[in-house]
Amino acid sequence: MFRSISRLGFHATRQINFSRQLHIARVLLAQAQRQAGSTSKALDAPIVQYVKRKVEERQKLQSELSDEALSDEDIQRVRKIRELEPLQDAWTEWNRAKESLEETSALLNDPDPTMRSMAEEEYAALTENMNQLVENTFPSLLIPPSQTAHLSAIIELRAGVGGSESALFVGDLVRMYTRAAQSMGWDVSVISSNVLESGGIKDAIMEVKGKGAYDALRWESGVHRVQRVPATEASGRVHTSTVGVMVLPLTEEAESSADDDLFKMSDVKLEVMRARGAGGQHVNKTESAVRLTHIPTGITVSMQDERSQHQNRRRAFQILRARLMDRKLSQEVLERRDMRRSLVRSADRSEKIRTYNYAQDRVTDHRIGLSVKNLNMVMDGDGLQDFMRALQERHQEEMLEEVLSEQ
Amino acid sequence: MAASATSHLLKRLARSLGRGTDALEDARRELRWMKQALHSPPKGIKPDAKSLEEMVERRVRNEPIQYILGSVPFGTRLELACRRPVLIPRPETEDWALKLASVLRAQASPARPLRILDLCTGTGCIPLLLCAELPPGSVRATGVDISEAAVQLSAENARINGIAVSGGPGLAPAKNDKQENTFTPVLADLMDPDFVNRAGLEPPYDVITSNPPYIPLTEYEALDSSVRDWEDPRALLGDPVSSSPAAPSVPDAHLNKGLAFYHRIAALVRGHGLLAPDGWLALEVGDGQAEEVGEIVRRGTALRAVATWEDPYGKRRAVVARREGVCEEPSHY
Repeated sequence: MFRSISRLGFHATRQINFSRQLHIARVLLAQAQRQAGSTSKALDAPIVQYVKRKVEERQKLQSELSDEALSDEDIQRVRKIRELEPLQDAWTEWNRAKESLEETSALLNDPDPTMRSMAEEEYAALTENMNQLVENTFPSLLIPPSQTAHLSAIIELRAGVGGSESALFVGDLVRMYTRAAQSMGWDVSVISSNVLESGGIKDAIMEVKGKGAYDALRWESGVHRVQRVPATEASGRVHTSTVGVMVLPLTEEAESSADDDLFKMSDVKLEVMRARGAGGQHVNKTESAVRLTHIPTGITVSMQDERSQHQNRRRAFQILRARLMDRKLSQEVLERRDMRRSLVRSADRSEKIRTYNYAQDRVTDHRIGLSVKNLNMVMDGDGLQDFMRALQERHQEEMLEEVLSEQ
Repeated sequence: MAASATSHLLKRLARSLGRGTDALEDARRELRWMKQALHSPPKGIKPDAKSLEEMVERRVRNEPIQYILGSVPFGTRLELACRRPVLIPRPETEDWALKLASVLRAQASPARPLRILDLCTGTGCIPLLLCAELPPGSVRATGVDISEAAVQLSAENARINGIAVSGGPGLAPAKNDKQENTFTPVLADLMDPDFVNRAGLEPPYDVITSNPPYIPLTEYEALDSSVRDWEDPRALLGDPVSSSPAAPSVPDAHLNKGLAFYHRIAALVRGHGLLAPDGWLALEVGDGQAEEVGEIVRRGTALRAVATWEDPYGKRRAVVARREGVCEEPSHY
């Protein structure tokens, strides 16, 4: 591709001698930009300005490097210069493409039809290349890599408004997340659940193990609303119920109870849930429930579904760690926002984020205004991918906005 | 299985488990474990029941859930096979054994493996937990029991959990590979005057552990039937049933208090040099026995540093002793 660009470039420079044609070319370029809206936007997009500033910064750093022995400051500069090298490369590519585009547009009206069609082809390719740079390459070089990319996830679901109908929907959501996780190749299991006698699940905790699970699922946190005629409803009236979903980052630790950077063991109160009378040889009942309380935050975790106390304890510590990690991450977001007054939207867990409307066979995510027809496909897990992808993209955009707003 | 059939089993189970609000929750949990044991049992352990109905029927007759499921998870990684009448491993035992593992971790190394002797080993839960928790090659454990069923089960449990079985009845000694921990099951009667020789023990040991029978005869009669009717009295009863000639001398003040085995163990430690000079003695005790067992150890042996460790339910559950130094309970494991 570069070869063909330079060939056209050569043609173009030859033609610059004709001032009238040059003038036409400029007009044409302007027209072409108006037509190809994305390109014209791309040319002066804030991200382009930002990259330009960064590259200028790099050049300045280079000019400041002393010729002789490296000082400590120089070492800092060299590091920064090296960091910005990929961006510099992308910027060079951008400028080269931009120049070629200008040259090519001069040929769009060439009397020679062969030349014209070549120019058109080239023009399209260059436009595409520049869009790629603006939409993918620049952002990927500017957005800091996710600190949580390697983490697995814990999903906590809790029936909300709507009584047993809400509990039934918890069951539906557990199934939806199970299927979606399986099709992503993650290991998924329900590690705790409160099944109601009347059917449905009061609350459940799921574990989704796999790389990227947390980053993909984290936007599921919030209130999920279901509108449908309950199976138990004779009159056929549509009910509205809610389920609260909370997605937590899961970190795997070798020892479940060792101190780590999230909490100190001395801050955790460990209780067993029931008295055992004399205990020991006198009693062979399996009473393995445990409750942890993290004293500084007041977070409590109870676990009783596993057969041994140790297993329940390990699970409980896993969830405590996930909750503390979640806290830490939200805290970090808040601090960043305060510092930069960024545009990150609030991650309010009481916010109604999605509606599952059975009568209209439609699922709507209120944050991104995305509606998907074919509700069953969403509930089977496959359709959920569309939401997960769109929400991840939105997050990327927000991250980019945050970077660009930085002075 | 149809939902109605399951819910029938659930109700039946809940009724048998009690009247409290917990009964249904307990029943649901046990039913789930039964399904798990039937459909995806731990590797190498199959429950002998063939169906959920059979399991529920057995449970309704107050058979311990562990015998029905055929297994007990123990410590951080063991799955122990569990069969009538061998004593079911208790969570209290798991707790102090894990704590012991955490204090031994500092001195366990393949360069000088710890020699561990467990008396009244039952399923082998204590020595096998130490084998599983401590670094490969750092443990040579021996487990002794009077019951043939227990000795067999403990050997089986070592194999199920990938722990090398060495020696023992009819078994060739394992390769003396430094990279693995080994377990030797031994059939012998602790009360036998010639116990040390008959059991083929090779003192001294760095660690002696025991969860000996400690229930007094009077309390034994009042035990829940799931314990009394199903588990081996030889694993529970701390008072000699008859005045057998081999019975140890128990002072009058300690008669009928379930303390006979502690006297015997103290005598063995003192009289036979069973414990290495810097060794550990760790004994599980029954509710209210910690004081007296501490005294038995202090008076009957040369061990002067004696501590009691609490179980998660707030009972003083283990007496841990050394000749000198510290044997305080670790704050966590």
